Amino acid sequence: MVKRSLFGVLTMLATTCTLDPVQSEAIADLGGEAPGIPPGPLHRPGQPCLVCHDGSTARPAMSVGGTVYALLGATAPLSGAGVELTAEDGSTFLARTNVAGNFYVEAAAWQPVYPLRVAVAFGGLTSTMSTIIGRDGSCASCHVDPPSRISAGRVYLAPSAALLPDGGAP
Amino acid sequence: MMFPFVKLTIASLLAGAIPACAAPDPNATTTLAGPDRASFDSVQAFLDHRCGTLDCHGTRYRNLRLWGHDGMRLAFGDVPGASPTTSAEVDASYAAIVALEPEIMNAVVADHGAHPERLTLVRKARGTEKHAGGAVVAVGDVRDVCITSWLASQTDETACAAALVYP
Repeated sequence: MVKRSLFGVLTMLATTCTLDPVQSEAIADLGGEAPGIPPGPLHRPGQPCLVCHDGSTARPAMSVGGTVYALLGATAPLSGAGVELTAEDGSTFLARTNVAGNFYVEAAAWQPVYPLRVAVAFGGLTSTMSTIIGRDGSCASCHVDPPSRISAGRVYLAPSAALLPDGGAP
Repeated sequence: MMFPFVKLTIASLLAGAIPACAAPDPNATTTLAGPDRASFDSVQAFLDHRCGTLDCHGTRYRNLRLWGHDGMRLAFGDVPGASPTTSAEVDASYAAIVALEPEIMNAVVADHGAHPERLTLVRKARGTEKHAGGAVVAVGDVRDVCITSWLASQTDETACAAALVYP
């Protein structure tokens, strides 16, 4: 039992510890897991995925990851949306959001050449990001709530409910 | 006993070391004579688009900070990706670039843009100096020409317009 506990602790340390003080602080700033949502594809919506999923801290290593919401300013996630990513070299990757609105691209599957362009599509409606992504694969590094001088706000499909496709209500 | 030439050598070393180690003059100033501000708008539009996103130079965490539509905004109430770049943001980006290496900038401008690679701005953009964003221009392409023509005070508006949609 002691062995098992020790193994558990070591495993946890191996997956969460980093010697980089900047990254350690960034991880600490994220806070703990939400009650009832264990680590996995549904956890930590709206947080910058690659702070931990950077290939050395938590698995899986991701190249791109984020959370999509249905409406501007709303907190309901958009499930089943396609996230179309296009890299500078023309290569593309299509990811899909889960019930938490989260999507991610495993680094082993696709390593994009920046800058990236991205569009979110759902039910016939496509919303294209007006700017490029320069170098950071975490959507939430820039897209945090509320919108401000230094944040574009959450990633969303439609600016108003009236524009949501039929059946698109979250 | 110390030989005369040893004394002389020590004296020479000290004489060389003292000015080399002297603190910079706190009152020294450099008069900026940067490239033309009036023709910077099109350069800024390109830089804002390609370099000024929030995850690159559109952040206060970079020595070179850019403001504009595609990234960090200057005025409270303005949001990235929303309203167009303001003239105050162009001014701020201009000041950030020109004041980054003022003495070298002055020299490049005085030389009508010759050897722009003296500027870290150009070396990083070309990727000849370590740059997290990699090489974002290639020598002679429209993006490079947009920047270097401005440094030569002959902004190539056509190149800058092409740079905005490249790729």
